Amino acid sequence: MDEDTDDILNNIIDDDDDANIQMTPAELIQKMEEIWINEKFAPELLPHEQEIVDLVLSQISAMEDNVETLPSADFKKGFYQLEIDRIRFVVTSYLRQRLEKIETYVLHVLKEDEEREEAYLSEAEQQFALKYKEALEEHFDNATMFYPGLPFEDWKSNFVRPNMNSFVFLKAKSNVEGVVVDRGQGDDNEIVDIKAGSQMLISYKGVSDLIKKGDLRLI
Amino acid sequence: MFGEKAYLLIKELDRNRDSLPPYNTELLSEIHNEVKQLVTENQEDANVSEQSRLVENVSYVPTLKIRHAAIKRNIRCILAYHYNRLKCLKTIRWQFGSILPPEVKANLSQAEIDFFSKYSSSLMQYMRGIGDDGGVNLAVNLKPPKSLYIEVRCVVDYGQLELTDGSALLLKKNSRHHLPRTECEELIRQGVLEHVV
Repeated sequence: MDEDTDDILNNIIDDDDDANIQMTPAELIQKMEEIWINEKFAPELLPHEQEIVDLVLSQISAMEDNVETLPSADFKKGFYQLEIDRIRFVVTSYLRQRLEKIETYVLHVLKEDEEREEAYLSEAEQQFALKYKEALEEHFDNATMFYPGLPFEDWKSNFVRPNMNSFVFLKAKSNVEGVVVDRGQGDDNEIVDIKAGSQMLISYKGVSDLIKKGDLRLI
Repeated sequence: MFGEKAYLLIKELDRNRDSLPPYNTELLSEIHNEVKQLVTENQEDANVSEQSRLVENVSYVPTLKIRHAAIKRNIRCILAYHYNRLKCLKTIRWQFGSILPPEVKANLSQAEIDFFSKYSSSLMQYMRGIGDDGGVNLAVNLKPPKSLYIEVRCVVDYGQLELTDGSALLLKKNSRHHLPRTECEELIRQGVLEHVV
């Protein structure tokens, strides 16, 4: 991001007194990019980041208002506009990514969310998931209604689950000690320490908590 | 052989990975009949099985099990067929928006049309609910933006197009325009405009 864009962003943040998280706009955008990339590469649905998304969205509309005030002959306007488009792409791509995961693993996601204390779905996403599940079930029931009383309920207990053992590239943001590398066979698990800034390829399952905590990020 | 028709159904899916062929009512009802027949046969055999085991020392259990496996397999194939069609239908929703193109609609079953409208409305509701002011349309900005304006060629006679800044222009067949990317993204996906690279 160039300095000019920072300027435009800073003007907005100054007006924004009720923001309770202290964050410069550049940090906010960086954070947004980070959660977007994490969501993109994690096999499972990650906890939602409603606040960040809302902040970025209000940021975008404020930036748009600022750009409006520039005369259309100003050649900087094009750059700002493109920057806004880029940020907007990140946000929409992030939300789309989540919707796709919710659709694919709908039964799994809803069940997990019920069992967990902290909800990974935002309220709107949950509503969407419930409706989607309802429509899907209705459709399947419809498809198998021709003979009542058959073992048609099987698919409900046999749903699609994300592959938690798939491999991910990650980069450590801080020093992490004692990550267990699960070899999947008995007790001979290896324990590794990850230094800040180092990158590695590892099975997702072992590091999922650390990614949610924010010690590691996917790349 | 059991399950042969269901296999045909899956083969049909495999042949048309990215398109929606007409809903195969005929084949489906044949499979339905096969399942029904298997169930009836199983019920009959289950009734006589107990007697015959005692009298003639013959058990029908293996036969029952094989038929049951065939039934389950058939159902799995039916569900797979429906599920994959839904997936395709969802892609169409993202591509063309909430209104089904007539040529697609002709190939769908009533249940699928119902599903489409339900999916579409819950998606709309979700998109309206994002953010504070009026929601976000997730169906645009599908690709990372490279430049603000792109060059497009008009493929059909579309008529008047009004841009967000208030100006209007006429989209005639084979005319070329230099437009903001956000304005024409949807039209490109609908096949009205063509991106000139």
